Amino acid sequence: MFTRFLVVAALAAAATVAHAAGEPEFNLTLRDHRFTPSELRIPAKVKVKLVVDNQDASPEEFDSHALNREKMIPGKSKATIYIGPLAPGRYTFMGEFNASTAQGVVIAE
Amino acid sequence: MNNKNLARPLAVASTLALLASTPLAHADPDDYVHVPAVEYGEREIELRLGTASPTDDHRESAAALAFGYGITTWWATEIAAKWHRSGATSFDELEWENRFQLTEPGQYFADFGLLVEIERPRDHAEGYEFKIGPLIQKDFGPLQANFNVIVERHFHASESEQIELGYEWQLRYHYRPAFDFGAQGFGGVGTWNDWSPLHDQQHIAGPAIFGKFNLHGRQVLKYDAAVLFRLTDAAPATTVRGQLEYEF
Repeated sequence: MFTRFLVVAALAAAATVAHAAGEPEFNLTLRDHRFTPSELRIPAKVKVKLVVDNQDASPEEFDSHALNREKMIPGKSKATIYIGPLAPGRYTFMGEFNASTAQGVVIAE
Repeated sequence: MNNKNLARPLAVASTLALLASTPLAHADPDDYVHVPAVEYGEREIELRLGTASPTDDHRESAAALAFGYGITTWWATEIAAKWHRSGATSFDELEWENRFQLTEPGQYFADFGLLVEIERPRDHAEGYEFKIGPLIQKDFGPLQANFNVIVERHFHASESEQIELGYEWQLRYHYRPAFDFGAQGFGGVGTWNDWSPLHDQQHIAGPAIFGKFNLHGRQVLKYDAAVLFRLTDAAPATTVRGQLEYEF
């Protein structure tokens, strides 16, 4: 019975994953511990895919309390972060390891 | 699908198969709500404390000291030593916790993870304890909701080895990085396929606070704490629990 439960749960999870849809994609670059662009405008009320390209040699952690996202990005690599759908407004984010320079804001409009 | 992409489903499937084929207790005062997201490369030292008002002769308290590490982008592991006080204080058990992040946060309608935990009590007559369960998170704007179903089973124990069903949940309103607020709850219904009468089940819930302080560079201090009140007679009247986490 327990095994059957696990199989059903696994199938349900697989179906959920297979149902994924494409989202509009936006790009952020991290170089010299600064985000470019530092202001990223995205459509409100739409889920978006944010691709962050860390061009620095050192790792960085994308951190946003407003967006409820924390994501480690190794040096010289990219990471995908899904955000939204967001209500119109400003949502700050930062690079946690270099917070004095790595600052930015997502503007949903 | 390449070998790297195969690694996660194979690891999870192997663990599920192992636990489904082996025979699998309830909320300790220091329990906390697990979240599905994993932070790759993150190291943490964690202190968990909890105390529950007495249900029989003694106040029951528990503490745990843990070290955790994000091994991959989808697997975080943690080793904890736990102490228990009910009259006298004693070392209670070693715990090996594994969290698997199954979906990328925000990608689907909810975020999913899997908790797999093995505990080895000091009292070997209690055998080993397995815990497994799905971790589910859904964000509603600034409100984060978590609900986890946990099944537990002892094996190689001197007492009967039944699969018990429990749960944990929380609501967290993201107000300020240093201060979020919400609620938490824990409970157990008894054997998974033959629930105990409601008055014998343990259910507790109450207000909770959370927060995070960036110290320097990678160093972060996080906390969460709750005061939990009984919802059923079998549960302790009041439980106070807290967790302090140093990430580096």
